[in-house]
Amino acid sequence: MTLRRGLLIIGLLTPGLGLILALIGTVVYIAVSQSFGFYSLNGISEFSTEFWSKMVGRKIFKRSIQYSIYIGVLSAIFSVALAYPLAIWLRKPFAGSNLIGAILKAPLLVHGLVAAFLFVNVISYHGILNQFMQWLGIWSEPRRLQNDPNAYSVLILQTWKNMPFALLLLTGAVQSISDDVLDAARDLGAGKWDRFRRVIAPLTISSMQAAMVIIFIGAVADFSFQVIAGPTNKQSLSQLMVSFKGRGDWHSAAVVGVSLMVIALVGSAILAAVARIIMRGRIK
Amino acid sequence: MVAIDIEHLSKKFGDFTALSDVSIDVQPKEFVTLLGPSGCGKTTLLKLISGFLEPTDGVIKIGGLDVTHVPPEKRDTALCFQSYALFPHLTVKENLEFGPRQKKISSSERKARIDDVSEKLDLTAQLDKLPNQLSGGQQQRVSLGRALTMRPSVILFDEPLSNLDAKLRDQVRIEIRRIQKEYGLTAIYVTHDQAEALSMSDRIVVLNDGRVEQVDSPERLYYAPKTRFVADFIGDANIFPGEVVGAISNGLWQVETGIGSFSVTALEAPKTKSVSLCWRPESAIIDTSGIKAKVVHRAFQGHFTDLIVETNETPYRVQTKRTDAQEGDIIQFSVSPDEVILLDKDT
Amino acid sequence: MTIEQLNKILLISLLLVCAIWLIIPFTMAVLWSLVDPSEPWTADKVLPPVISLYRWVDMWENSSLKSALIASYTLAPSAALLSLLLAMPTSFALGRLEFPGRELAKMLCLLPLVVPAFITAIFFTSLLYQVGLSSWRPGAILFAHAILFMPFAIRIMTVSFEQVRQDHIDAARNLGASHWARFRVAYLPALKPGIFATLLIVFIQSIEEFAIAFIVGSPDIVTIPTLLYAALGQDYVRPNAAVLSLILVVPNVILMLILERLLRSANPTLSSGKG
Repeated sequence: MTLRRGLLIIGLLTPGLGLILALIGTVVYIAVSQSFGFYSLNGISEFSTEFWSKMVGRKIFKRSIQYSIYIGVLSAIFSVALAYPLAIWLRKPFAGSNLIGAILKAPLLVHGLVAAFLFVNVISYHGILNQFMQWLGIWSEPRRLQNDPNAYSVLILQTWKNMPFALLLLTGAVQSISDDVLDAARDLGAGKWDRFRRVIAPLTISSMQAAMVIIFIGAVADFSFQVIAGPTNKQSLSQLMVSFKGRGDWHSAAVVGVSLMVIALVGSAILAAVARIIMRGRIK
Repeated sequence: MVAIDIEHLSKKFGDFTALSDVSIDVQPKEFVTLLGPSGCGKTTLLKLISGFLEPTDGVIKIGGLDVTHVPPEKRDTALCFQSYALFPHLTVKENLEFGPRQKKISSSERKARIDDVSEKLDLTAQLDKLPNQLSGGQQQRVSLGRALTMRPSVILFDEPLSNLDAKLRDQVRIEIRRIQKEYGLTAIYVTHDQAEALSMSDRIVVLNDGRVEQVDSPERLYYAPKTRFVADFIGDANIFPGEVVGAISNGLWQVETGIGSFSVTALEAPKTKSVSLCWRPESAIIDTSGIKAKVVHRAFQGHFTDLIVETNETPYRVQTKRTDAQEGDIIQFSVSPDEVILLDKDT
Repeated sequence: MTIEQLNKILLISLLLVCAIWLIIPFTMAVLWSLVDPSEPWTADKVLPPVISLYRWVDMWENSSLKSALIASYTLAPSAALLSLLLAMPTSFALGRLEFPGRELAKMLCLLPLVVPAFITAIFFTSLLYQVGLSSWRPGAILFAHAILFMPFAIRIMTVSFEQVRQDHIDAARNLGASHWARFRVAYLPALKPGIFATLLIVFIQSIEEFAIAFIVGSPDIVTIPTLLYAALGQDYVRPNAAVLSLILVVPNVILMLILERLLRSANPTLSSGKG
């Protein structure tokens, strides 16, 4: 590798990869630094762990962490759990399978905010769901379904939005398993559940992990769904971060931001490892 | 008791009839081959026996039990796939173990079976390898071993040798037959290669266009084909339309064809006056008397010479061990009456 | 029950679910956007009593809809173009040159997708303040969008570059073509579908992007997503929100369908070399 070629490569990579690394690198650097008191925008810049120690003691911080992890993990699990049987069902084309595939993937086209609005609209106090249930006689009066404290709305929205993505990844993986291999398993006595557990799951594990990790990261860092449809007594980490920034408290925002990044990374790793262990454990 | 009893089996796919009215009995420990050209229905029949397809009509019984509507995972059959279909994420040992584990066989019994099979198939050194680390021949053996550890009532083969090179094919052919005899398994084997079928089988089911043409031992199929298709498909045959002139003596008939007159041995009187006559090219004995034929083409093949000859402008084949006849010569030959076969005219 | 019958039942139930999942919410949105303010749509009526395009017209004339549309629809194509141009050299290197660390480089290009959007948004803003560029908002958003969506551009263009046939390049060179002519004749035909796909994807992503537009842009710059967010927040006027939702979704769906058609037809042209 000559020097000239090396320089050429670096030169070519700079406007693309270079800028990416610059932007992301700077962003992360600033976030970490600000969390430790540097780069203050309205005060003195000096190293301090004060912001971290203060934040860790706050109840609202702990609750946000718990809440965001709760949303992240459940969204990932629900999305993948729903996507697997659908991917297996759609493995071989049959009459209407293309249509179903398209309908199932439709949520990918819908913007998060729009989805939140549509959902909130449907479940609103005088919305169509309430009216339908009253018409059926199941409820005698409208119920307040919005902003429920268990965040079911957020979970439903997350699953609705993310399941198609998991479906996309899993469909490819499931279709790459040859028919003969599945027929062989059947011939050797494996019923539907055993075929999944002992053949399909192990062979699609990397796609499943990728789906879970990406969905987890997205859901843990959610802002829009939370703000529009989420519980009012809890805040997601992103929401917390934005509110600190809105008050001008950049350092606390940075603490929350760095925590979010760490949780996203560590959480994904744990989730991926656990998924692998569960799948592996069943075979041995 | 019959190992496999197939009665009036039919399979239709929409308007297309893949199999019609197939009835076969397979005895225990028998090696039966389903033979025929592509599209004849042999793979369909195999899939029906293994349970991957359900018949449109008819009954399948294995070991006396009606399995017509039983799914493959519950049938006592084991299938060796053409593509081997080994589980790519499992080692050879785990592949071999798969079936017995499904059956919930105890781990000591499982170990015994795996040791036994891997020894017989020479797989002991590969037990911890993954399928992608094995050669084609080794994968083939694992596929066979996986079926064997199941100790099935019936073992099924779907053209297992077609992905192997010629030399390996001969070896594996012998191995499969040996294993089948050793374990005393009933085997159904699908192939389009007649040499394979002839060398391995106790009986062959010849299929054409979804129908059974003939079920017989290899020798009887070769020397006593019943239909034109069978005569033509297995080995070479010269087939001529002819008229029965009359009986020469008891069991000996005279038939007049376009190229000459033949004497035919037949136990029963021919049913119709118009018949189809057939004999194998190697049955012709070249001599100084008999039917006259002009040699049109000569191909020396080493241990025999292939001649294409013509009589009355009808071309046909004669094979002989050694001859000096050249192209353009006139030869004379006869065929022993025992080697002339009468086929049903409308076949 | 046979597989065919089971499939039919699942199909019908899924279509039913999808009707509830997609058709009803969207119908609601359309209806709400058509409500005339003269007669509010109360709970006792199945359909809005008076239907008109009042809301649409009103939003167009009186709210920031116009400026939001302009902002979104100028930002998006610019971001797409910028992203493409910045991605080209890198994609060329990743697609056609061999060097140690290439796989690592490919993975690093995906970094923007891993860092949560709001973190990037907030600390990019912080960066702007630090550097003193906080008044350069539209440029900042454009820049951020271009880089944020570059992973898509790089991914697609790398694959396109990989598919440029060496023998076409050699033939052009052999016939004495200059660098530019070589590019035009041997590279461009194979790259065209990738270029269109990239422009389209980055365009769609930019129109939809919320975090950066919100944090960096407010309050001066309004894009359609931020306008929708405002409409859903403090001044929750349902019909306005409905109008904005439809404006956001419908072009998106159309563009995505075009993209799908494009990607599907791209492959045969590429491989047969007739492109």
